[in-house]
Amino acid sequence: MGDPTRRMFAPEIEAMPRSAIEQLRDEKLLGDIIPWAYERSGLIRETWDAAGITPKDVQSMDDFAEKVPFIDKDAIRSYRDRHNDPYGGLLCIDPADPATRGVFSAIFSTSGTTGDPTPVPYAGRGPSMLVREFWELGTRPGDHFMHCLFTFRGPGVHETIRGIGATPVFVDHQPEDIATLLRFSRELRPTGWYTLSGPLVMMIEHTAAATGADPAEDLASYKGVIFAGEPIGPRARAKVEGWGLELFIQTSLGDVGAATECAEHDGCHFWEDCAYVESLDPLGTDAVGDGERGELVSTTLIDKIAPLIRYRSDDLVRVTHEPCACGRTHGRSWPLGRKGDEIVVNGVSVLPGDVWPAIENVDETSAALFQIVRTGREMDALQLRVGYASEGPKGLADLRTRVADSVAAAIGFAPDIELVENDVLLRQGPPHKIPRVTKG
Amino acid sequence: MAVTEEYEAVTGAWGVGRVVVDGVITPWPVSEADIEGDIEGAVPQLASLGIAEGGLVLIVSLLSHAAQVFPFEQAAGRLGALYSSSDRSPFDAYRCASLIRQLRPTVVMGIDHRVLDGLEEAGRDLAEVFGPVPAVAAVDHDAHARLQAAGIPARWWLALGPTSAVQPLDDDALRYDAARWWVEVDDAEGDLVITDLTARLTPCARFRTGVRGTVPEPGRLILA
Repeated sequence: MGDPTRRMFAPEIEAMPRSAIEQLRDEKLLGDIIPWAYERSGLIRETWDAAGITPKDVQSMDDFAEKVPFIDKDAIRSYRDRHNDPYGGLLCIDPADPATRGVFSAIFSTSGTTGDPTPVPYAGRGPSMLVREFWELGTRPGDHFMHCLFTFRGPGVHETIRGIGATPVFVDHQPEDIATLLRFSRELRPTGWYTLSGPLVMMIEHTAAATGADPAEDLASYKGVIFAGEPIGPRARAKVEGWGLELFIQTSLGDVGAATECAEHDGCHFWEDCAYVESLDPLGTDAVGDGERGELVSTTLIDKIAPLIRYRSDDLVRVTHEPCACGRTHGRSWPLGRKGDEIVVNGVSVLPGDVWPAIENVDETSAALFQIVRTGREMDALQLRVGYASEGPKGLADLRTRVADSVAAAIGFAPDIELVENDVLLRQGPPHKIPRVTKG
Repeated sequence: MAVTEEYEAVTGAWGVGRVVVDGVITPWPVSEADIEGDIEGAVPQLASLGIAEGGLVLIVSLLSHAAQVFPFEQAAGRLGALYSSSDRSPFDAYRCASLIRQLRPTVVMGIDHRVLDGLEEAGRDLAEVFGPVPAVAAVDHDAHARLQAAGIPARWWLALGPTSAVQPLDDDALRYDAARWWVEVDDAEGDLVITDLTARLTPCARFRTGVRGTVPEPGRLILA
């Protein structure tokens, strides 16, 4: 376990020189993952054959950028449906092979926010890379660690908590368990927490109001909390920071992992010994420069059960490969939104993040549970479905006007507002997020 | 063959689970030795539902049940089977139905009334969702009755303090791990009480389970 006072869990990896990062990437990607996946993954084989290339054609990262075809969620679902293969052609081992027993142990699933949950084969082999993030929160061996999640991502997280010598405390990411979360926080004094989400912030507020609990007092032991699922709005951030919590934002890395802030809070670190991250023109295939808006395209460097290669995530990001002030040398990303979530109203681009603070600013809709109702990328009017906790002192018509005025002040034109109770939208979760765009 | 990166795990306390009786929540720390024993106990329980080499069990639970659920997840592996997971909540009922359709599990265990509420609110027919599954185990009386009414021959997976009992396919009684637990009827209340037979991180002596029933012989119990 090493020196518990050190800043990084694995400094020899987290702060390795960029030249070493790139050499490691080349070895793993070109020498291992690509030939392995092409030989065994039905989807990769089919996609590469259609593009007319084989691993022999990919001898350098320039070859990779120029020749390797993309895959995306639709390609996985299409393969699944055409071949009656629940793993979408990604599985690289035979579950019936006795030699794989203990390697391929379980099947988890994606959140299902945008459709049917996709089964994800699980290797089931101990702690994950999140040990680095959990250590960065300030948790150390012997501490309790709040594990507040759901079941469909498997036991990897609690094995990771034990991997830094801490003890997981299991709590549900559900409204019914908030009182217990506050109680166990008070009694067991955990130092780390994975994860907090927007809906959970709302639930804590409600529980505190109903019971008289003081979250600042109950949550005083935490050194760091990972916030994940969706972006956090300014009002919710102020609320949580008012409880004395230091948030570490985590964002997805295109289904090959996650990227998480360090204590500098200057971008989310992605681990380049685990994933190769590209930022490409959202409408094309050219790379965009560091700091420019691009679509995150990810390739695993470690998953040989169901490897994703050049997976177009639909996530819009800004990326840098400059070293962080914390001393880590791996890249960082800033999530900007979902490509598929963008609409253009009379020539004006609108993403959920553009209206988020305006909806948060109205007391009755401060949970920021809302959806853009999308009939196409280009629309004549912005239609919003907005969740409310109460009708307010003057009823729904007045609330609708106040929400519309707040949004109009933010984006320059008035939206059409449909009000629904918060529960209507929460039911569309998984518990840590809701779909932010819905078909009209 | 190294298929993923990994770090060496440390040994010691496995985690802080919980025991819930009549709505009262008691935090319940367990050790790695406790978990290993519980895995050994879960293997025959899972096999009694029909899980064998090449099978798949879908476990419907919540993370707060981890100390009781993890042994069954690992037991599946020891039987040469796989497991999958969905949350025991109305909001996640769609996942339960989707995974049944996509993965065709041999056993689904952990269905409660809230999951059935979620399915029925979504307009799903219970017989259609669960009909293709050879064994479905419920965790409360309401879910058990509704599954039976839908024509599903529901079995039981019942919380019994820090452990649980499973109703096999071929028995009306439920089975618990008699090598590690002593279960008896509390004469005053008629509830089953449970005592550990092996040293555990959290001692358990005549703990009231909130379950009413009889124990015809060690290892078998019949619900009242």
